[in-house]
Amino acid sequence: MDVRQRAVGWSLWLAALLAAVITLSAGIGPVSIQPSVVIKSLLNNVAIPVGFDLTSRVVGGVLQLPTPGVRWHSPFAYSVDATHETIVMRVRLPRILLAALVGFSLAAAGTVMQGFFRNPMADPSIIGVSSGAAAGAVAFLVVPVAIPFGLGLQGAAFAGALLAAFAVYAIATEGGRTPVATLLLAGIAIQAFLGSVISYLQLRSGEGLRQVVHWLMGHLGNATWDDVAVTVVIVPLLFGVLLAYGRDLNVLLLGEEAASGLGVEVERTKRILLAASAVITAAAVAVSGVIGFVGLIVPHMVRLVVGPDHRVLLPAAALAGASFLVLTDTVARAGATEVPVGIVTAALGAPFFLYLLRSREVDEL
Amino acid sequence: MSTDTLVVEELSVALSGTNIISDVSVSVDSGELLGVVGPNGAGKTTLLRAIQCILPPTTGSVTVEGQPVERLSARQRGRLIASVPQETRLSFSFTVEQAVAMGRNPHIGRFGTADNTDHQAVQSALKRTQLTDFADRPVTELSGGERQRVLLARAFAQNAPLLLLDEPTANLDINHAINTLELVRTAVENGTAAVAAIHDLDVAARYCDRLLLIANGKLLAVGPPASVLTSQRLEAAFDVKTVISEDPTTHSPRVTALSSKETDES
Repeated sequence: MDVRQRAVGWSLWLAALLAAVITLSAGIGPVSIQPSVVIKSLLNNVAIPVGFDLTSRVVGGVLQLPTPGVRWHSPFAYSVDATHETIVMRVRLPRILLAALVGFSLAAAGTVMQGFFRNPMADPSIIGVSSGAAAGAVAFLVVPVAIPFGLGLQGAAFAGALLAAFAVYAIATEGGRTPVATLLLAGIAIQAFLGSVISYLQLRSGEGLRQVVHWLMGHLGNATWDDVAVTVVIVPLLFGVLLAYGRDLNVLLLGEEAASGLGVEVERTKRILLAASAVITAAAVAVSGVIGFVGLIVPHMVRLVVGPDHRVLLPAAALAGASFLVLTDTVARAGATEVPVGIVTAALGAPFFLYLLRSREVDEL
Repeated sequence: MSTDTLVVEELSVALSGTNIISDVSVSVDSGELLGVVGPNGAGKTTLLRAIQCILPPTTGSVTVEGQPVERLSARQRGRLIASVPQETRLSFSFTVEQAVAMGRNPHIGRFGTADNTDHQAVQSALKRTQLTDFADRPVTELSGGERQRVLLARAFAQNAPLLLLDEPTANLDINHAINTLELVRTAVENGTAAVAAIHDLDVAARYCDRLLLIANGKLLAVGPPASVLTSQRLEAAFDVKTVISEDPTTHSPRVTALSSKETDES
């Protein structure tokens, strides 16, 4: 079958799955809400733009941007319990959408990194992004004075993530060439170094230790629409870039010399893939903390099902990652006491992955 | 202006200051197979890599169909030069057809997908290499000889005027080796210009129109096999005494290397 048809087919199927998962998840919690009520609440908040005007708005607590303001018209007005609608729209939906976006980003970046490094153990944090974000966030929590420019917690994490990724790239690059093996080792070294920085800061954190540990475990609690707004702009943009390089990623799997002979500008493609994956991962990690495992196992699971062609694999893995994280975060918050979602992803993901490993022939990783 | 498909002029390549190739000039026309022969480490593979500009030349130039390779983009190069590497990673479980279709990559734009021309090129490459029945098999399940055919098919699908082969028969048994070279020969007869680094002098003499003998990065001789493969030149290149005879079946030159004991006796 044509590649484009397969890509669109899988994407539609997985997008439908994601919509179903989101609808169910929005009904689960201390107050149980019927899926039909969830859907009506969502529809009530559907708005169609009817006019434009320009206003100045603060985005993500960092940038002051002139934003096109839009006047809206709401076509639906179902009668729904106001409390239920508020719970769905104000409390649960921001968190669910953030989970979806974070899962989407981590799975997409993980897929790209596994292909890029031709290594099944690669995940989005391999070039130091997660460690950098963690170091930035912990530094903000423990010694706020160390963070310049009045960056918030998320700003500090985002800056730390990009700084670490850039450091790894700069160390591994010589004369315009970035050998993948050097990059991998530089990433490991930087991760180890940042690990020691984080441990030291934890020792010194005193009262703030609980907050630091909570951040490091990965969490999606207290998500607001503002968190979603920043991520929703960055993620699709960069995902588009990654998707445009799907065929080049396939060819890169043959090795760099072969890829060069097959029309791929190898070094430029590597730079673009690295930068886009680093930023998409940083955008996710900055809002959610370090959520392990999603970026490692979701691409593997999806590769087992749809095959290694990145033009199909990349959108499928990203959408599956979104569903996976919404599901695991629902489990994380559904219990009597909420647990960090990072614990749940590993606890649920690892056994399922092992099941896949044992039940299917895995020789293609 | 030469009309030859490949023109290499006074090419030198240095790696960390040491010349690997010095001052090599040769040209190959369409419908011609040039064999590159010489001892281990002579610079055969380096010459092929320099032609593709994977190693940029220190001095000299390489032009394919009149275009200087050094100044071409990877895409333009991929349309002019198809290369069959000695070994390639085919470890991911792409199907044979997917692997061969990668040869079309230089012909397809970033946002484009394969069109009819691409599909036809892939199908014809599969057919020529007798891989049509294997099209849906994962490459990871193939034998060494079949994998070599996949690489050859990928290069055929590229539809480039120049075909480079690095030791295409090194890991193959005699049946697969002959089969591979016959396929190359057919492509050459249909107008491709080809350069192949070949270890085995007898095989090179049998299938190549001309041979280029290289040792220590220097060109020792270029010409028809019978004129290049002389005892004197081979001793200079390989540092071994040889006897040249004619193969009774193929009538191509046959090289027999002599051990030092045999040399003393003769």
